[in-house]
Amino acid sequence: MEQFIYYLKVSFVSIKRAPLPYALTIFILSVGLGIFFANATFYYQLNSDPLPHKSSKLFFPMMLLAPYECTDCKPPAVLSYSNIEKLSQSDIPSAKTAMYSADGYLRKNAEQTPMPVNIRITQRDFFSMFDVPLLHGSVWPDNSARLEIILSKATAEKLFGRTDAVGEKLLLDDRHLTVTAVLDDWQMLPRLYDANNRNHLSPADDIYLPLETGYDMNYLSNTQSQTFDDTDYRKLSTQGRTGALNQLQYWVQLDTPTAQQAYKQFMANLAQDEKVAGRHPSEPNNQLVAMRNIVNYFGGESSDIKAFALVTLLFLLVCLFNASHLSLNRYLGNQYEFSLRRALGASRGQLQLQMLADVLLMAVFTIAGALLTGYAGIKLMNHLLPRNSLFSSWDLPLLLSLLAVAFICSYLVTLYPSLRASFGTLNQQLKE
Amino acid sequence: MITLTNLSKIFRTELIETHALRDINLQVNEGEFAALTGPSGSGKSTLLNILGTLENFDAGDYLLDGISVKGLSDAALSKLRNEKIGFIFQSFNLIKDFSIYDNIELPLRYRGLKASERKQRIEHALELVGLHARRDYLPGQLSGGQQQRVAIARAIAGQPRILLADEPTGNLDSLMARQVMELLEQINQQGCTILMVTHDPDQARRAGRHIQIIDGQLSDAVLYDPLAAQSA
Ligand SMILES: Nc1ncnc2c1ncn2[C@@H]1O[C@H](COP(=O)(O)OP(=O)(O)O)[C@@H](O)[C@H]1O
Ligand SMILES: [Mg+2]
Repeated sequence: MEQFIYYLKVSFVSIKRAPLPYALTIFILSVGLGIFFANATFYYQLNSDPLPHKSSKLFFPMMLLAPYECTDCKPPAVLSYSNIEKLSQSDIPSAKTAMYSADGYLRKNAEQTPMPVNIRITQRDFFSMFDVPLLHGSVWPDNSARLEIILSKATAEKLFGRTDAVGEKLLLDDRHLTVTAVLDDWQMLPRLYDANNRNHLSPADDIYLPLETGYDMNYLSNTQSQTFDDTDYRKLSTQGRTGALNQLQYWVQLDTPTAQQAYKQFMANLAQDEKVAGRHPSEPNNQLVAMRNIVNYFGGESSDIKAFALVTLLFLLVCLFNASHLSLNRYLGNQYEFSLRRALGASRGQLQLQMLADVLLMAVFTIAGALLTGYAGIKLMNHLLPRNSLFSSWDLPLLLSLLAVAFICSYLVTLYPSLRASFGTLNQQLKE
Repeated sequence: MITLTNLSKIFRTELIETHALRDINLQVNEGEFAALTGPSGSGKSTLLNILGTLENFDAGDYLLDGISVKGLSDAALSKLRNEKIGFIFQSFNLIKDFSIYDNIELPLRYRGLKASERKQRIEHALELVGLHARRDYLPGQLSGGQQQRVAIARAIAGQPRILLADEPTGNLDSLMARQVMELLEQINQQGCTILMVTHDPDQARRAGRHIQIIDGQLSDAVLYDPLAAQSA
């Protein structure tokens, strides 16, 4: 250990000999790595699994149920109320929930200025399926219509200045509702349950309303709706439940492969029944997409992030190349010292330990520089692409991998030059 | 302790082959002080580097204490250099931004000696070369003669059995050269074998043995007058 501290001291002395090229090497590495860090952060967060313990059990069923002849039609990404009624009859899934989102205005009483809110209109299983944490109160006991509302923690705090708002009355677009629960902080990242509307990168909703109540109150979907007949989508409360107005996302939890297989069969039977009943003349086309594949299925992968990832990787390579060139010059400048050390009896192993000390020092400086640049890079990207800003946090595994990358880069930048310098002809430098 | 048999060294570059050493047969015994002379380019430094295992050779054999260095690993050669051999160079080869003390410490560091043992040896070596008061100076703050004495202290701090000196006084004026020479003689009297390349006929005479090398070969003939070489 004492010997290694000595090696560190020697590294320091040799840095002090030519501080400028060294600083430049660190700078180049830091910039390359920092930009890479910033981008890797987004990439990592976008591709992370928000529910690692159960994402493989959550599925998004889609069925092509169109009342007219349709060849080569893909099933729509949303279903109609009557589709959901039929799908809900199966008790193969251990949980199931239909949902859509809408906009509204919320206030405590008529004196307050209303604030705009994003409403998730859904069913009771939503909260257990996606592991939504409750802070106060309880979720609706069933899926029937009720004038009850669940608030996000932030919404409760905004309205009441506290989180325990259970039992409080509210005005949602001037209709009276009672708060039955308040969620704890919750942000699923990415929000895969909303991926078919490419909303998986946006923040969680502000309030939650029962599906039946949403229909009763005529809340129109603010994302995607499709009609396959002459239903007027604006008359949701009267025609929405019977007409072919598709606007509902549907999720089921299928815990075993057997259940998944059985559910596929159930969907096939359902499509067949519809065909026999004359409500669906086309060939059946059903899909059961696993949650982890949903973004891919809907083609919602952000190509800007992908392209940028490639560019930053190339940039990192260029920086590595330049830094190792600079570092090579530095080592060749010190080559005579390598030869001297060899003459005084240093083995290759001992020179390599010296090199490791060099690497460690460089890694420390580079990591500090790269973290700073990376942090600044994320701030900049959040500024340029605000919709990705949820994806800019560093967790421990990510941070550790980033540090490992920085260390490896420092190693590469030091390894080749120092090997070259230490394997040069021994005597040549000392003769003159 | 040193036995060279039919040793040859060829430097190959893309254009030419230089036969730096041909068929060298040489025996150096424990405790000898040998002066190595010869014209510039005759192969003196090459011979010294081979003796110091800094350079390998193409043919023949080199036995050090009865063991051929040919079969030794890098680690074994490093250990051998570190423990048995001390080097002194014409251009001192001190590390400019290390203190005198730290420069002398270098070989002891690679030997893995304890701090107290290192300190004791460094103090002793500094005592011997008479630079104890300058231990915290940087090399640049010393005269050439003093720097060479630091280099000698570095070479002997590890108590080597052989000292290889390549024109140790080549960069020094005559007074300083004499001091260095006296120091080497003193070290030799304590039992250390010394091989020294020199152009100075006085020094060559003072050494117990005179080895002459011409065009890569050992020569007994007095073909070469060091006095003439020096004035040329
Ligand atoms: N690394 C080398 N590569 C090619 N030729 C070399 C090398 N080192 C020495 N030589 C050649 O070998 C010969 C002997 O060199 P050297 O031992 O340095 O001579 P001296 O020390 O007697 O002046 C010279 O001709 C020199 O040019
Ligand atoms: Mg020479």
